[in-house]
Amino acid sequence: MKELVDQISARLRDQKIEVPDEEIASRLKKLIDDFRVPESEARRSVLNYFLKEHGIMPQVRASSEKVKISEIKEAGKWVDLEVKVLDLWEPATEAISQTGLIGDASGSMKFVKWAKSELPNLELGQSYLLKRMVTDEFQGRFSVKLNRTSQIEPLEKEVEARPASRAAQAVKVVEITEPGRWVDLKVKVAQLWETNSDAISQSGLVGDETGSIKFVKWAKADLSNMEEGKSYLLRNLVTDEFQGRFSVKLNRTSQIEPLDVDVEIGSQAAEFSGALVDVQKGSGLIKRCPVCKRSLAKGVCSEHGKVEGTYDLRIKAVLDDGRRVQDVLINRETTERLVGLTLDEAKQMAMEALDHEVVRSLIESKLMGRYFSITGPRVDRYLLVETINDVPPVTESRVDELMAEVEVI
Amino acid sequence: MAGFSREVARRIFAEELKSSNYSFRDGEEQNQYAPQYLLTPTGAKCNRVFIVATLIEKDDIGGDTEYWRGRLVDPTSSILIYAGQYQPEAAQILANMEAPAFVAVVGKPNLYKTEDGNIIISLRAESIQQVDEATRNLWVMDTARRTLERLAALKNAKPVPVSSEFATADKVTSVAPPQDAERALEHYHTDIEHYRQMTLRALSSLKAELAKNGIESKIEDRATPESESLPTPAKAEPEEKPATRKSKGKKSESLSAWPESENDEEVETFNLTKKS
Repeated sequence: MKELVDQISARLRDQKIEVPDEEIASRLKKLIDDFRVPESEARRSVLNYFLKEHGIMPQVRASSEKVKISEIKEAGKWVDLEVKVLDLWEPATEAISQTGLIGDASGSMKFVKWAKSELPNLELGQSYLLKRMVTDEFQGRFSVKLNRTSQIEPLEKEVEARPASRAAQAVKVVEITEPGRWVDLKVKVAQLWETNSDAISQSGLVGDETGSIKFVKWAKADLSNMEEGKSYLLRNLVTDEFQGRFSVKLNRTSQIEPLDVDVEIGSQAAEFSGALVDVQKGSGLIKRCPVCKRSLAKGVCSEHGKVEGTYDLRIKAVLDDGRRVQDVLINRETTERLVGLTLDEAKQMAMEALDHEVVRSLIESKLMGRYFSITGPRVDRYLLVETINDVPPVTESRVDELMAEVEVI
Repeated sequence: MAGFSREVARRIFAEELKSSNYSFRDGEEQNQYAPQYLLTPTGAKCNRVFIVATLIEKDDIGGDTEYWRGRLVDPTSSILIYAGQYQPEAAQILANMEAPAFVAVVGKPNLYKTEDGNIIISLRAESIQQVDEATRNLWVMDTARRTLERLAALKNAKPVPVSSEFATADKVTSVAPPQDAERALEHYHTDIEHYRQMTLRALSSLKAELAKNGIESKIEDRATPESESLPTPAKAEPEEKPATRKSKGKKSESLSAWPESENDEEVETFNLTKKS
């Protein structure tokens, strides 16, 4: 109660209104104790009561509320924000006229401006008061949308935005666990991928001793190209997340410095436990390119053309714990042990059936639907299985534990 | 680019699955290619389901081409699964399988409305595989846990008013959809206690089975074991299912461990939703 009273009187003092604490307390007490009003509701009501009392209309309660970015914790709310535009991205669809990152002192957040909103464009580095935006959420991550009812007011003063004003933090790859952070990384370029968009000048995989992560270098960033196998200090990258996987983006504010030392790429062991719900195409008996070890499609390597392939046995599967899916790759050694079938036996089987698919069917019949616990390094979307074990059988005491949990819900 | 991500297979007891009647398309664009979801009473939004249960019947109900139907029973109820020419591997495995058997099925929920307006939920099997009892027990635990998590989310959720302020304020932009739990409460007015009891029943039947198995394996060193978990202590032998419902005389004598399916009619009323 004391806390609530203090909060209210502080807010009132902001408006140069002095109200005795006792008066605030008695109104609060009446609402909370006598009328069972929830505390947050009571606080707002009492505050508004005294503001009105002193001739100040409460902030346009119409629908949108002025908030800080860090206060956005719910989708579908109307909000006003004072922000600085930290980054602008290429919209993925024509329905979006602008998208990017905005920030204030409390954090940063993605924004989307719909084409239909017919609002003027925001400028990079400018500060604005954005009114009547709708909050949205995707996979635990919030954003704001500017629609037809939204308004944009340029601000004279500059909004202090945390990520831009504060120096990016030097981190390890494994420490990247949230989107929208500014980081520095010392990494080696593990892979460069072909880009499929003009907006991207380079993308691929970079890594340090703790793991690997996808990177995207925007064409607009106007940065020099990186080479595969070389190590760099990458400054001022933004972290991003898509469907639970993180990446770093190099934009106009980022820098690339070549390093003399060679960064070693390691990997962090990951764990996953769940039911095996799919044995995918490309599992079982496959042929690999003798040069690059890629698997062949109809005897053709995507890099080296038609080659005499070498046989291999592997499993591409999906584990699923009811909340997330995890793609897994199981190498020959583990596959042989798990399925009880050697590469030679698999070849024999396929030869007799005149069909490679029989091996995959056998794997499927042995593994589908079973619960496994696996460990291994995570590379891109795959977990490379080092150990794989059956989940131990259910015991009575485990059932008791769960029943106790159900009892108390 | 990396836009595609596989749908998680939800864990739902048959009773809850059967009580579902709310299906919708969702995604960036609300067109015919948007994925289809079934929202269950406890708020599982499922495009795909994973179930490990007992296959108790299977029939080829197709005409010229094989179309297989199976009935799965879990500790709460039963559900029908289908596999036809568009699921050739699953159909083949089901065809060669002997019921009863423990099976693991990954499938897509299918909502079918009968002519008299009843809604029947079935699963279109993507894959079927025979598994052991240990896997089935793990599934019961797994599903109970996930159901419990959804129930907890329901408790914390508030139903969304039908015409909320923002729904009408701007029809153009996609206002963020309410969370699954809220949506489920709004549609089903879910009785949390009912599903809590269902989960408890599933777990106690699992517990009774484990107790029985434990006794069987220890039969030599313990003469007359007492089972504390039994609601009917008068019985000397622990039964797996405390209260067996009245049998309708269907072929289930050998399967008294499982609850009877209440409405056997659904098999008959189910018109084949066979794609030609």
